[in-house]
Amino acid sequence: MSENVIELRNLSRKFKGFELNVNLDIKKGYITGLIGGNGAGKSTTIKLIMNLIKPDNGDIKVFGLDYKTHEKEIKERIGFVYDSNVFYEGLNLKDIKRIVAPAYKRWDEALFSQYIDRFELPLNKSIKTFSKGMQMKASLALALSHHSELIIMDEPTAGLDPMFRREFLHLLQQIMLDEQRSILFSTHITTDLERIADYIALMQYGHVLFNEALETLTEQYFIIKGGLDLLDRDTAKYFIHIERWSNTFSALTNRLSEVDNLFGDTVVVEQASLEDIMYYLKGAKQYVQLN
Amino acid sequence: MYNLIRRDLILQKKQLIFYVPFILLFIITGKNPALIYLLSSILIPFNAYAYDEKTQTNILLNSLPYTRKEIVTARYIGAIIFMIISMVITNLLLVIFGQSFTISQMAIGSGLFILFSATAFPLFYIIKPGHISTVLMITLIFLIFTGPSLYFYIVEQLPFITDIVNRLSDVTLYSSATVFVIFSYSISWLITIVIYQRKVF
Repeated sequence: MSENVIELRNLSRKFKGFELNVNLDIKKGYITGLIGGNGAGKSTTIKLIMNLIKPDNGDIKVFGLDYKTHEKEIKERIGFVYDSNVFYEGLNLKDIKRIVAPAYKRWDEALFSQYIDRFELPLNKSIKTFSKGMQMKASLALALSHHSELIIMDEPTAGLDPMFRREFLHLLQQIMLDEQRSILFSTHITTDLERIADYIALMQYGHVLFNEALETLTEQYFIIKGGLDLLDRDTAKYFIHIERWSNTFSALTNRLSEVDNLFGDTVVVEQASLEDIMYYLKGAKQYVQLN
Repeated sequence: MYNLIRRDLILQKKQLIFYVPFILLFIITGKNPALIYLLSSILIPFNAYAYDEKTQTNILLNSLPYTRKEIVTARYIGAIIFMIISMVITNLLLVIFGQSFTISQMAIGSGLFILFSATAFPLFYIIKPGHISTVLMITLIFLIFTGPSLYFYIVEQLPFITDIVNRLSDVTLYSSATVFVIFSYSISWLITIVIYQRKVF
């Protein structure tokens, strides 16, 4: 049985033209990817977890603690990395560290120097001269140097070039060698998660559609391709969503054995990528209502 | 808390050197010391707000292990500390330039600064970012130029007020002013906490 590092229960927050309703458990000791299109509610969920936004209703527990009574204890144990630079632009990394470090009781100066060396970051250059990748590394160094147990990242790989993204993901894997640590990572670049995530939570229209182990998902969802003539009212019900072309179709299913019995060799079966799952589920609004 | 206050100095370390010639300018032009105290006290805390009105800064501060109450309180305590430092520096400069100053000028300068801060601080969290500094600077400059003539106008037109003030002993006058200033600042602090706690970043 695994413990949850974050528990969101019936969490709701209303904005103009958007409503968030979330139930979500993030497992301790794993990397969880939070995926979804733009405006699905990923950033809002992360802001709620960071207490930057307060919910209208519902409970947020981080490390089993409540923000109302344990705000500082919670944040002491979180490392954060955001997609935009939240650090004062005109300052260099040394000054930023002088502002951030004393906030944490468990700040480890030696560890910080190690990360600075390893990431090859200049301490005396103003942060606005940093490339996007360097800024991300700087954030990560600050997030890791106080022995954080939970790392929360909002779109950390957005705007990074592919080489750098790989390096960054590799880094995260190394960080996870410490088994007590958990990472929550929002992204719309789903291929990143296929490399490193243990769990995937998909958000759509302010709801969490599913939160499953990556393996379960890849065992569960398949893309079926075949001729349009195979589709009729009876066969279509085996699919979550169907895309029709001029005389072929491709569709997402989570009922492979039945599809297999029905169509046999007349269709092509492919493993669905996260992007496929996200795309087809977005097309299938009725699926949203079923869950 | 201390770290939050120290942050203002780290942020402004490059500007700090320019504050001294700024104060000097007022001393050389022979402005009233009370006014100089007010202006020099304003520099650090209000410049700090230029940074803090950015959403990014608030995201950073609120992601660090601080409570919103602490962030606001640091602002209010910091302003008083920076006021005291500025007044010490101003006094040093006044002495160097052979100008005199009185305790009552210091009291008026600091009293005005605290009242000004008590009004302005909550506004920083209400008015949209980007506008507030301009609004405050214009208000302040306007007050500096029109304030004295407005004062004399009131004195001339409303003699009964001056009458009451004159009849009060210095002790009563200063102690009631002090109570009023402290009360305003405390109320302002509580209001800002409530406003800041409701903010969305």
